[in-house]
This record gives sequence, C-alpha cells and structure tokens, in this order.
Amino acid sequence: MDVSLKRVVRQRSYSQRLNLNRDRHFLTYKCTWLFVVLTSLSILFTKNAIADETIARQFKEGIGPFLAQYCTECHNADNREAGIRLDHLNESYDDSSLKLWEAIENLVQHEEMPPREAEQPAGELREKFLADLKRALNWARSREVPRNGNMRRLTVSQYAHTLHELLEIDEEVSSILPPDGISKDGFSNNSQTLQLSPLQLEAYWQIAERALDLVYVDEKEIPTIQTFQMEFGKGINAEPYRGELVLGAFNQLLPNGDFRVTELAPEKSFEFRPFVMQKKFRFIEGYQGNDTVREWRDFDSIYHAVFACMRGSEGYPKGKAWESVSGGLLLRPAIPSSEIFGESSTYGPYANFKIALRELPDRGNFRVRVWGAKYDDGLLLDSDDKTISADASGRMEVLLNEEAPIQSIEIQEDGVYQVDLATPQMLAAEAAGVKGQTFTAVDVEVQLGDRKFGKSHAQLPFMLVRLEKGAIDVGIANKVSGGKCRLVLAKLQKGDAQIDRFERFEKRNPAIGVYVGLRRDCGSTLNPVGLPQMVAGTELQEFVFEGAINNFPRPEVELDNVNYLAGIREIGVRCEYTDGRDMPRLLIRKIEFEGPYLEQWPPKNYVDLLQKDSDSSSEREHAEKILRNFATKAYRRPVTEAELLRLMKVWDDSSVDTTSWERGRAGLLVVLTSPQFLFLVENSHSPAAEPLDDWELASKLSYFLWDGPPNRWLTDLAKEGKLRSQLETVVEKMLADPRYRMGAESFVAQWLSLDKFDVVTTDAKKFPKLTRTVKSELRKEPIEFWLAKVRGNAKLNELFSSKEVIVNDVLAAYYGLADKVETGLQFTPVVHQRDELGGLLSFAAVHAGLSDGREPNPVKRGAWLARKIIAEPPGDPPPNVPALEDLTQLTLRQRLEKHRDVVGCSKCHQGIDPWGLPFEEFDAGGLYRSEKVDSTTVLAGGKQIEGFLAFRQYLLSEKQEQLAFSVAKHLSIYANGRSLSYKDELDLKQRLSGLKEHGYRLQDVVKCVINSDAFLLK
Amino acid sequence: MRALDRRAVLKGLAGTALALPVLEAMGSDVVAQRPKRFCALYTANGMALPKPEHGIDEWSFFPTAEKDGRFVLGKSTEPLAPYRDQISFLGGLFHENGTKADPHLCSDMWLTGAPLHNPKPGSYNSVALDQVVALHTKQHCRQPSLVLSIDAGVGFLSRTGTISYDLQGRPIPAENNPRRVFDRLFRVDVSGLKAERDRIRSRMKLVDAVLESANDFNKTLGQSDRERMDQYLASLSEIESRLIAAEKWIDVPLKKQDYSHLNLDATNEGEPAEYYRNMFDLIALAFDADITRSVAFMLNREDGMGISDTFPLKLGLERTHHNLSHAGDKDGQLQFAKYDRFLMEQTAHFLKRLTEYRDHDGTLLDNSIVLFGSGASTTHWPKNLPTLIAGGANMGLKHGTYWRKEDTRMSNMFLSVLRSMEIEVDGFSDSSGTTANSIFTKA
Repeated sequence: MDVSLKRVVRQRSYSQRLNLNRDRHFLTYKCTWLFVVLTSLSILFTKNAIADETIARQFKEGIGPFLAQYCTECHNADNREAGIRLDHLNESYDDSSLKLWEAIENLVQHEEMPPREAEQPAGELREKFLADLKRALNWARSREVPRNGNMRRLTVSQYAHTLHELLEIDEEVSSILPPDGISKDGFSNNSQTLQLSPLQLEAYWQIAERALDLVYVDEKEIPTIQTFQMEFGKGINAEPYRGELVLGAFNQLLPNGDFRVTELAPEKSFEFRPFVMQKKFRFIEGYQGNDTVREWRDFDSIYHAVFACMRGSEGYPKGKAWESVSGGLLLRPAIPSSEIFGESSTYGPYANFKIALRELPDRGNFRVRVWGAKYDDGLLLDSDDKTISADASGRMEVLLNEEAPIQSIEIQEDGVYQVDLATPQMLAAEAAGVKGQTFTAVDVEVQLGDRKFGKSHAQLPFMLVRLEKGAIDVGIANKVSGGKCRLVLAKLQKGDAQIDRFERFEKRNPAIGVYVGLRRDCGSTLNPVGLPQMVAGTELQEFVFEGAINNFPRPEVELDNVNYLAGIREIGVRCEYTDGRDMPRLLIRKIEFEGPYLEQWPPKNYVDLLQKDSDSSSEREHAEKILRNFATKAYRRPVTEAELLRLMKVWDDSSVDTTSWERGRAGLLVVLTSPQFLFLVENSHSPAAEPLDDWELASKLSYFLWDGPPNRWLTDLAKEGKLRSQLETVVEKMLADPRYRMGAESFVAQWLSLDKFDVVTTDAKKFPKLTRTVKSELRKEPIEFWLAKVRGNAKLNELFSSKEVIVNDVLAAYYGLADKVETGLQFTPVVHQRDELGGLLSFAAVHAGLSDGREPNPVKRGAWLARKIIAEPPGDPPPNVPALEDLTQLTLRQRLEKHRDVVGCSKCHQGIDPWGLPFEEFDAGGLYRSEKVDSTTVLAGGKQIEGFLAFRQYLLSEKQEQLAFSVAKHLSIYANGRSLSYKDELDLKQRLSGLKEHGYRLQDVVKCVINSDAFLLK
Repeated sequence: MRALDRRAVLKGLAGTALALPVLEAMGSDVVAQRPKRFCALYTANGMALPKPEHGIDEWSFFPTAEKDGRFVLGKSTEPLAPYRDQISFLGGLFHENGTKADPHLCSDMWLTGAPLHNPKPGSYNSVALDQVVALHTKQHCRQPSLVLSIDAGVGFLSRTGTISYDLQGRPIPAENNPRRVFDRLFRVDVSGLKAERDRIRSRMKLVDAVLESANDFNKTLGQSDRERMDQYLASLSEIESRLIAAEKWIDVPLKKQDYSHLNLDATNEGEPAEYYRNMFDLIALAFDADITRSVAFMLNREDGMGISDTFPLKLGLERTHHNLSHAGDKDGQLQFAKYDRFLMEQTAHFLKRLTEYRDHDGTLLDNSIVLFGSGASTTHWPKNLPTLIAGGANMGLKHGTYWRKEDTRMSNMFLSVLRSMEIEVDGFSDSSGTTANSIFTKA
C-alpha cells in the first residue's frame, strides 16, 4: 500500500481550505498591520543589512576556505572524527550552531586544532581566522531574533485543571486525552512538541460534551440522595441478620452482631428524596467457598446489599489485625501485600476493612464521614523484651481460671505498667521447673477495664499500657483452653527505658485513609479518596472525605446481572501503614456515606454557569450573558464583540424547537473547542519584541506557577492593569499559594526526570525495602524538598547540600532515619546529620530511576547531571553507534573506559561518564552504599575527584554559577514553554550574575526568570 | 524491513501517527483495496491436552503426530480437516501477566494482556485487540465492532462475560441473542437513521461554527505561530470529513443478502449447536456486507459461570464444562476432549461460511484473520495457551503449520496480527516485538 501517496493527497485536501483562509487573512493583515510591520521590519533589518554582507563575504573568503583546508577532511558527514562534522557550517551562524563555533574558536585559539600531526595554518592565517570568527560570533549573538508571539496548546494536566476551575467539576473527564510528548529539554509543555491530531480534537469535543452535561441539571427535578451509616461495636446489633452472606475467597465477614446498617435522610435546606437501596435480589450464580453454585436463590435483607468485611491474606505479624470492641472496630495498619508476602500476593493489604455494597450514585460528588479516634492502646511486647522480675516493687499477680476469667484489682497509682501473661502451658512448665521451653502461641484477648488487646501469645511479656489509679477489672475475654492463666502487672519505675518507648508509642497518631472501588478476586481496585487524615486524640472525631463518584473504578456490569458477586462496589477504610513501627490502633465508631453530596439545589456550578443570579429581559439576552461570562473565563481575557457575535449566531442558528439549554449548550461547546480556549496565545503584531499584555501575562504566570488558569485575583489585577507594577509581590503570593504545589510537581518531576523512576522495574529480591508504598512516597520527596526550599527562599547551595531532608516516617525508615521522625505520612524537615544526605544530588528516586533496577548506571547518572544540573548537555549519540565487543568479564567501570576509548564515542562520553562515577556510591535502590566502592572520577580537564562528597563540594565551589544557571535555565524553558535561544541564555546569565552576592536565593531566581525578556516579551 | 521503512515515513511526516483521511477512503481507489477483517473467538477453561499416561494423545488439541512433515489433526480437531491448509496451530504462547495473576482472570486478559495482578491505579483493564483493530477499520464500515458472548452483558471483573475492552479498558457489553444481533446489524431502523442523521448534522453545524470562529480568530492573530493554528484547522477539517463520511454511510444501501438459512429464534437456552451456528452465520453475514470488520465472540465462560457450563451435559456428557476441565482421570479427560470436538465442529462451520462468500481477491476467509484460543492451556495453567489461527491469506498469513516456540508473548503475536492488517502501532500491551518468522510473513 502506498501510504506516502495518500498522505500527499491528504495534505492537499485541507491545504486548499487553508490557502483560502490565508488569502483572506492576508487582506486584513495588509490593511491593519502593513504599516507597523513595514516600519519595524525596516528598522530591524536595514540596520543589519550592511553587517550581514560583510559577515557573509568574510565567511566566503576566509572562514569557509579555512575550514575546508584544515578541518573538514576529518570532520564531515561521512567521517565524523570525534562525532563532529563541520562541513555543513555556513555564513548564517545559526543559533543552533553557535556552541560548535565557540568550540572551534577555542580549539583553534589554543592550537589544539588542527591536530599537531596535521598541516598547520600559518600564524597570521590563524589570527585572521580568529578575528573574523570573533566578529561573526559577536554579530550572531547580538542578532535580534524575530519575536512573533507564541501559541501553545494546554498540556493534558493544564487542560484538566482549567476545566475543573471553569466548570467547578471534580470528575476527571479529561483522562481520555493522549499523553503529551516530551521535548528534548525534558518538558511536556513545549509548544513545538505539543501536537494536535484529529483524534485529540475529537476527544476535546467528547470531553466538552460530558463536562457540560455534568453541570446541567433539571432544576425542577427533586434530587435523590443516598445516605446510610454503618456503626460498629461488639454486639451493637441486637437483632443481627441470621442468614449467611457469601463473599468468596480471602474475605472475612465481620460477625453479624458487630455492625449495624441504617439508611438515613440527611438534613438539607432543599427538598429531596432519600434513596432506598434494593433489598430483594434473585441470583442464579453464587458461591460456596471457592466453588460456583448455579441455582436461582432469593435474598431479602439489607445485609445482602451492604456487607462489612475484611480483605487480605492471613497472618498479621504483631497483634490481631482487627478486633470488635464495645466502642467500635479496631484496626491495625493495613500492610500492603508485598511488604510481607512477596510479589505474588495480589489480595491486597491486611487488615483492610471494606463496606461492600451493591448500589452507589452514578453521578456527582459523594462524602464519606468517619467517626474515629486513636485507641488508648497498649504496646505489645516482643520476644526479646524482659519479663517482670519477681521482686519488682508493687508487683501484682492475678490467677485466672474458667470460673473467674475476669477479676477486680486495685491500681495504686497512675503510670505506665508492664503486663505479663502466663498461659496454661507456661504455668505448667514453671511448676515442673523446665527452663528455655518454646511455647505454643495461644490466641488471647487481655481485657483491662473496657479495653481489649488481642494477640497470638507465646512468651511471658505481653504489653506496656497506661493505667489510672483505682479499681479495674482485668482478665481474659476469650476462652483459653487448658485451665488457668496468670496475669502479672507492675508499674515501670522512673528511669526505665521502657517508659520512654511507651511514651513515644502513645504519641504516635494513626491515619485514616478512605478508598472507593470495586470488588474483584485478584488485585486491588480501590482508589484513595483524597489524602489520609491524621487521628490525633482518643476522643471520637469526625473525618470527612470527598470525591467525585465517577473518578473511582466501578464494576461496569449490567443491571440484571445474575451473579451474586457481580457489581459489588467497595468503600475501603484503612488505618494507613507507614513503616511497621508500633502504633496505637485506629478505632472506628461509625462510617456514613452521602451521595450525591449537594450543598444547595440547584448546585452552585449550575447557577454560576447559567448566570441564574442575573436578570434578563429575554431568553436571547440571557443567553448572551451566559456566553459572554463563560467565554471571558474560558479565553482568560474579555471576549471580543466579534467573538460574541459568532457565539450568538450559534444560538440564533440552532433550531427553536430544542430547549434553551440545548441552544445555549451549542455555544458553550464552541467555546470549549475553540483555539482561544485550547491554546495559550501570545499575540504579537510584528517581528519586533513587544511586551505581553496583562491578560497574557496573568495566564503565563499562572500556567507556569500553578499549572492552571489565573484565578479571580489575578484576572482582577490584569483588568486593573496592576499586574506589571506589582509583579514582585504577585509572584511571592503565587509561590505561597497552595496551588504552587501543582506547578512545582509538574516542573520538578520533569526537570529531574522522575518519570525514569516511575518506569524502572526494581529487582524486588535485591531491594526488598523498595516496595510500592515506599516508591510512591520517594517519588514525592524531590517535590516536597523543592517546595520547602523555594517557599523558604533558601540559597542555591542548600538546594544541593542541605542539613535537612524533607521526609515522613516511610522515607525516614528507608533512609535509616526512622528514630528522628514521628509524623506518620506527613512530610517534615529533619536534620539528618549524615554527610551524604540532603539536597537534590541525593534523592533515592533520582538514583534508583537512573539505574537498571539492579545496578547503578553511571552513564545515565552522568548524562542526567550534565543535562539537568550543570546545563552542559552532551550531544546526541551519533547514528550507527558501533556495538561494543563482548566485554562481559570486565567491571562496569572498565567497560566504560573501553567505551570511552572507542573513536566516535570518546568525545561525548568524556562529557558524560566522569559526571556519573561519583554517584557510584548510591546503589540501584538509591541508597548510599555501606561497602566501599570506586567512585573516583577524572573530569574532562584532568581534575581528579575522590568520591561523592568531594564531588558535591567541587560543584558547589567551582561550578556554582553553572548550577544557578541550570536551575534558571530549566525554570525558564518550563515557564516559556519553548527552548531558549542563544540570546535568551545570554540575557538570563547576565541577570543571574546580580544574584550571586546574595547566594542566588531561589525566589530571586524565579523572579529573575520572570523578569527576563524571554518571559515578558513576545 | 519494508514495514519498518513505511513506519518511518509515516512518523517523519506527521510526528504522530494520524488515522488516514476518510474522504479518500470512501473514494474509488479504496474500493479496489482488499478489506482486512479480524475475528477473535474465545473458549474458556482451556482445551484438552490429555496426560500421557492415559494414552489418548490423539485427543490433544495441539497436533501430536506428523505425516510427510505436516501435522496430523487430532480427533477433536478433525472437523477442521477441509480447511487444513487455511489454519495453523500456535504453541508456546502466553501472557506474562497471566502467570502473575489469579488464574480465573485469564479470560479477562486474554485479548488485552493487562497486568491485572497489579493494575494501574483506577484502571479496570486495558484495550483489547479487537478494539485496536476497530479503531483503524471503523472508517471503512458501518459499525466499528461487533462484540458477542454466550451471556449478554459484561459479567464482572475476574469472571468476565466479554472479551472486548475499549480504549480506556472498560468492558464492552456483549450481545448474545441472534435476533437482537440481526436487528441491530441488518434491520434498517428508519427512525434510528433519522436520529443518527440529525445527530451528525447538528455536530457538523457546530464544527462549522468552530471553524468560522477559529478563522475569525486566525485573522486577528499577528505573527503568532502559524504552524499551531494550521494544525488545529487541519484537525478540525478532518473531523468534518469524518462526519461527512459517517453521514454518507446512512445513504449507502445495505448489501442484498440471503438470510433464509438463519433461525433467529435460536437462543443460548436451546440446542447449543443451533445457537452457535446462527451466531457464526451472523458474523459471516456481517463481514460479507461490510457492516463491521472487527468481531469478538466469547463462546463460553470461565470457572463455571453462565449457561455454557451446562452445554456438555446437554450434549450427553456427564459433567459440566468447568468440572471436565479439572478432570485428571482418563474418562474425564476424554469427555473434555469430546466437548472440544463439539467446539471445533462449530468453528469448522464458521470457516465454511467464510469460504462460501466471495470477496475481493478471494473468499471472506482470505481477507479475515480468525483467532481462536483460550486463556489457559489445561486447568489454570497460564502457559502454552491453545491457539489456532485461520484465514488471512491475503494479509500474508502462511498456513498449514504447527508453529511452536516456548514462552512467546501473546502480545507479540497480537502485534503481528495488527501489522499484518497494516495497522501501524508501535506495540500492543506488553509486546516486545512481533512473532516474525512464524505464520505471519508480513509482520
């Protein structure tokens, strides 16, 4: 099939139309802008015309022949000595060739080229060449680059954020968009790589339709709201459901008496209908254990509609995974399966509480409220803990038997107590005088007052617990076979290290995470509803979680599905796992679901979109109001009268038979699929540089710093024309705003190539600690660190070498700093007191990403440092890289050396590998290696550096300007959505030099980027 | 090599691969082009691979004997004898993700290869092969794809009732009733047509409005990046031409066909053979009339789900399909193989139909790749998946062989199917390349 031919035909089919447009365009263009264009063109180009001629002549007469005689024999298209060709250089001195020209200048000047063994130019010829070249390069550097404005499509995430702000919807409707391409600089917002295809434009249509339909409601309709609660507690349900529920393998149902489901009607300021869940069912397919049963069966109970269950594999490592107590349901942290069961376990974490249910709303937002508290818990002791000594002061001993499993004792004073428990087997061994026996683990539930502590018990020391003075019932709540047990209590004495251990324990706070998804046999399909919330006190508190129901996976089954388990949805409530440290349990008293969650009727976004608060004399006038308001917001500037006219034409043209919503919707769809909305436009009227207008500036700032549209505050400033005069404070406020997190996430991840970490498959056997949870927390670290440093306006050096790391419990444990952090999942600054940590040369996410999952890769790390950190990007590998001979018996370092020796590789690799070798001290899991490795490097200039620490110091002291430039350069590329020209870079360098004396504070660097011509001019 | 060059050309021209324009596709040059069709047939619970100690090797799905260097069909695959030279067996295929997941998920992932043991957060499944085909063939036919199954709907994740998943990985509900399928495909619904035409026209009006508004906007632009705007306008006019093409289809009359052999009262509650025969006849008719070029049909369901589990009982065998698949005894394994033979008889009927209809440069079968297979080879064993491919001679498939290569990625074979159909994608699911040097000579 001749595809290329088709393609040509295709080009013609639309280019005809384009030509037509262009002709029309030119007419207007001439009338309006001819004068401006001609004047500015003439100013720009007549001035340079003479110079151009001289430069061209000098190339033709001097530089060109010089190259031909002395250089191109070795450096041409076919024979690229050192990977370099010079035969394509010409008198234009393109921006893209300037670096190469500078290298030539440098080498010829130092008489390093032509090489000594080759023919040498005479001294004066060399001088003449250098003088001409210097003149030409100065001319080229000062050359005005035509500035013709810019037009770049919103990236997928910018588009999503924009739609969310514009229509006030939380549903992620833009997930169908294909991902954006990545530019050579590593950014997805480059105007050149942001392509647009018909497929994508079709997706924009689809998304726009869906988004508008989400906002529109029939306001006369009475909304239906589903609300129910599930309450927990031992025996809370006085009339538990008698029948049996079926939930398949790896599900444990809560005892029917320990929870109660009630459908509710919330208090609302408007009329609504409470949704009543279906309770009668008829299924032909069900289960018995793991077997399928096929027969029609009828069910009739809310308990076949809503279940309380636990999911996950058996065998919680310490204590009981969950327990029903009088005050509710106790949960220990839900351990992700891979933490203890290896890769193959796909049944999700244990203990993983879920409400399984058949019906949830199909649109709108929902709200899950959890009433929970930190349990006044005991710290379960380990096998290496000491038993209470026989002569401990205040030692109390209680013998328990089946007649009196619970007994009352008197606690003499408040304090932390150790509790030891002897099982019947232990007592027997003691009586027989046997020592060192291993005991069978017995499931026991120790009761103290109304608190319960379940454990699989195989040693005397049981737990540490805080007790108050006074009488208390103590004993064993469950049946232990074999007769009597002995409980021993003793208050820990001042100075006992166990007190400190307990006090640290009781200060820790569990966190609640809420999830929504669907039931399945294998793997977990639950998405988190917002972030986990810390539960700080032992008093019950209410925790609210909100989301849009369609952002969560659903079973996608038809209504009349005849399988008992098909179509079951799940609301997961977990106590979040961090690193396995002992932690008081989470007590859940009640969970309530409400959805769709409506604060008013009709909803606010509907009122806003349809301008319900405004008066209009006619339907048409009202439509115009809606469209004007919407287009102004969507275009991020006032809609022009001509644009509005077009939109009203859509209204006028649509059939009067349809509803006014249908007619208005057509206009709104046009707005949402127009280039004014989909693109960020900087509209320039001449090739000369012009300042951005205030609207353009507002958008440019907000998409740079917030990854989203300008808010009301910014557009108001733009409208009042105050943006430019208040630019400094505006930028400071924007950096302090919570939205800056979105901008920072996008920038830092792309700058530091964190996507590499997302895709690397780490060898789970070699790096068992690098679990899925740890990976997702490590991924956040660079962003948290950057945010902290920018918001703190830190000096540049602190970005690369800092006394602090920004970590949470998970990361602290990974880095070996667990004892320094007690904040759960919350990130916090920690003074690490470790030489190798702190700063963006030490992130595990970066080093693990730049490895192959087993071994570190100094080439990848070197190229990363060269590109991202010191802005000396190596050239692309030449085409047809020769394969290396088999060198498998050599070490990686030796192989690299060989590689560097190969002609054609050496030139580039000299600029890469030396930068990566110091990082050899970090393994493929991103951690500092304890064993000594060879991390000596010799830089291209011959400087030898011993190891990572010396290397970091070298960068900070010798390369500081380059570090600063690299940060600014990447910020600028990202801020402008394009690669920088030579002149842009020069301008940036000059501006930066003023910041040196204050240590390049990061906010100053951001402001410097914003104040540069590249940013402010179009 | 040729395929590679062609892709390079495509990429060089557009940066990203664009679908071919539709208006040309409607033109005469394309009518002369051979249609490329795809049909996936899934059978649950694996196919018989009897234990050697039972001495019934001739009942194995994969050929166990050779004659004159050519495979000899076994007793269960014997019904395929008339099409001996238009079929091939493929051994050693597997989904790497299948080995990591709960074995009951094998039907969910058979046509997608998705990592269901460790799903991408928020995802359900990933796109199925038939939907990739549909994406690239839909502009040539009336309906992008036809998704059929023994039970209507989608089943549920872990025990799917459909093998087809859309581009976002959501299950596509399957149809199972011959009459409903017939009505949807062949009955011209006048009010439906009008509604469809109205929908297309109002969309076209909007596209026009956007085009006008964009052209206005274009005029106000100074020297801003023209290339971006050109790309936008080009995309917009492409959408417009697709709408025009879609509207044209409404006016193209249905091909005149003979429906007299259909029994539209057949249902899955009745005689199994009668049911399958009618479903297969409908697929053949749909291909012949170019109603769709992509079909997925799930013949039965995993793990005792659905009505098909009882079919062996209806046919006089003693256990249900899922039970038979677990059988280790000789009698059970023999009965399981006999049920395979029943399935092969139905498949042979389908191939017969496809060879009876004439098509461009041959029969329908020559222009259709028919993939028959299962997600487990024997009970819950996710390797060496039973796979049979028929047809597609005009797409470079060379048949009559039993090709075998241990631990070959199924996704590589799927990519070969796509490349044979000249669908230029970089990969499919976890593919690491194609299964070159197998039965695919063009991919």
